[in-house]
Amino acid sequence: MITFQFLDWLWIVLFVALMVFFGVYFYRMGKRSQSDFFLAGRGLPWWLPASSVYATHTATDTPIWVAGVVYKYGFSGLWYAFFSAWCAISAFVSTRIFRRSLAYSQAEWQSLRFGGLGAELLRGWLAGWQVFMNMFILGWVGIAMGKICQMIFGWDLWMGLFIFTTLGAIYVLSSGYWGVVMADFQQGVVAFLIIVIVSIWGVVAAGGPDEIISRLNSYSSTVEWEVPADWENRRGAIRITDAETGKAVAESDGSFAIATAISEEAQARLESEAAAMIKSKQEEMAGLLFPTAEDEIQAGEKYTIVWDSGDSDSRVNVDVTADGGSSWSRIASQHFSGQAWRLNFFSFTGMFEGQFPVAWFITMMIIALIGGFGMGTSIDWYPEAQRIQSAKTVRDASYSIWAGSALVLIRNSIWAAAIIGFFVLYPGIADSGEYEMAWYRIGFEYLPVGLIGFLFAGVLAIHLSTVSTHLNLGAMYATRDFYHHYVNPKASEASLVKVGRISTFVLLLGSFVFGVIIGEEITAWLIFALWIMAAGVWLPNILQVIWWRFNSWGYLSAWMANLGLSWLVVWILPRFGVIPALPDYLQFWILIVLNALVYLPVTFMTKPENLDHLVAYYAMSRPIGFWGPVRKEAERRGLIPSN
Amino acid sequence: LGMTIAYVASFVGMIFAYLHYKKRERKES
Repeated sequence: MITFQFLDWLWIVLFVALMVFFGVYFYRMGKRSQSDFFLAGRGLPWWLPASSVYATHTATDTPIWVAGVVYKYGFSGLWYAFFSAWCAISAFVSTRIFRRSLAYSQAEWQSLRFGGLGAELLRGWLAGWQVFMNMFILGWVGIAMGKICQMIFGWDLWMGLFIFTTLGAIYVLSSGYWGVVMADFQQGVVAFLIIVIVSIWGVVAAGGPDEIISRLNSYSSTVEWEVPADWENRRGAIRITDAETGKAVAESDGSFAIATAISEEAQARLESEAAAMIKSKQEEMAGLLFPTAEDEIQAGEKYTIVWDSGDSDSRVNVDVTADGGSSWSRIASQHFSGQAWRLNFFSFTGMFEGQFPVAWFITMMIIALIGGFGMGTSIDWYPEAQRIQSAKTVRDASYSIWAGSALVLIRNSIWAAAIIGFFVLYPGIADSGEYEMAWYRIGFEYLPVGLIGFLFAGVLAIHLSTVSTHLNLGAMYATRDFYHHYVNPKASEASLVKVGRISTFVLLLGSFVFGVIIGEEITAWLIFALWIMAAGVWLPNILQVIWWRFNSWGYLSAWMANLGLSWLVVWILPRFGVIPALPDYLQFWILIVLNALVYLPVTFMTKPENLDHLVAYYAMSRPIGFWGPVRKEAERRGLIPSN
Repeated sequence: LGMTIAYVASFVGMIFAYLHYKKRERKES
């Protein structure tokens, strides 16, 4: 619980007053037409959509999942956030192609690129999927806000989710996309300020850079361990061996008890014992420091195993047993000794083994750099597409995407330094649902009176801008691509804006359902949503831009297969115990292969798109890649100059 | 439940698209 003083409340009241002013001011502009309600009249200079791109990459959940990966993997975890580098390539490739096409949204672009029944079905499918996706996004953003309010005010998780997401809905209902862009701009400024302030504060609270480095060099070694749920009422032991020589580094002196359940107080005591063992060099104790034979731990819970590896910095393997040593199971291989590895951006643990394999890194580089040639290779593309189309010119669109994502990558590095500072203060937290709140804890527990209110106003700004972005985007799909296109093509402007408002409300309700499904651990869901969920359509998203022969049937079949396969491989089959929970990069490649087995045969068994349709698209958008036959035809018809 | 909602939303969109396409085809013939 955090107490707010007068100065804190003053900041929050000022912020809410500013939001009300923007909402009322832009209410009139949003009513002019749906081009204003959804695209701000397509006349924005590059720096406005750029701040908006930055703002959409900054939500209340972002510091949570970045803290989740950096607390666990050290600076190497930052590479998880590197996927957004796709924007750097896209700014000069797919962004330009998209802006030239003049499509409002990705679904509309698809109807220019594909034709016939396949394209129509695809547009319907994507309109429906987008409505789901925006509910899903709003669900985890709402949960993030719920966790923050739980931390500050001690509220139930649902209170923060319900109150502040509903507030965002009221804002966007009144002001439309103009309000979204302006909220993004002020949020971009406010958020960058608080991110810098809190992060510097975090580094200072941990004693400054030199102190952080020297402490990490003196801390004991650790590894995370989730005790198997079926090990209850047995006795466990741990063995740590040198990965090169196989010599014992540390092992349990006797065995420790594993209970079905232990009290919360006992659990908290174990956690502080582990943290104390990490922080202090034990002169009289060596070897395994936690858990020891006196400890009783709980089956199914997560713990930090702590040991003293002396001055050795060699890699180790960690094994555990629950049957007195007749069988051992490995929980970490090629793991680090000490804590200095956390400062290394490239702390690899081998080609395929350990927590940070080279294969993982190569996968991420491919995603980040080749992804920029496609459209939709990252789910961020869909809100970015709206930003791209609201820019004044093609060049403004390019600059805005590039500058916005450069800011994002700089921002992530500033965060990471503060999260390493948090690790120095609080090592040994094993539950990701708890340590993913690291950055917020630094802000709310260490900032002085007055600044806490400023931080909360900033968090509110971040939350409202994200909520309003996705409510507006989801409503745009429901209104333009679903209602206007299929249900009532003759609808008036006023009735379209009204349908936009009703669908905003439906999205709000759907987001509460996804809040329940997601629950408390945000980091794992974000890795799924930002990365693995789109694995099966990652390659098709590139092929549609660069390869003329790829048709709507191939693309639609990839989407239909990927939706089910991704949920099955990542969530459903592991939870029912059918397959083990695989490392994320392996899930990515498995989904790429499984889906290719669907869409490649479908593409070759169906006809290419109609040539007239392709030629018209080519002349308008000028795509790059394998477009030979279409380009020749366009030249023959005199639509583009032949060279 | 999460996967089911995603599939239902997407299929509803696609069914509307199919009906729309067929209606347009009938009109043209």
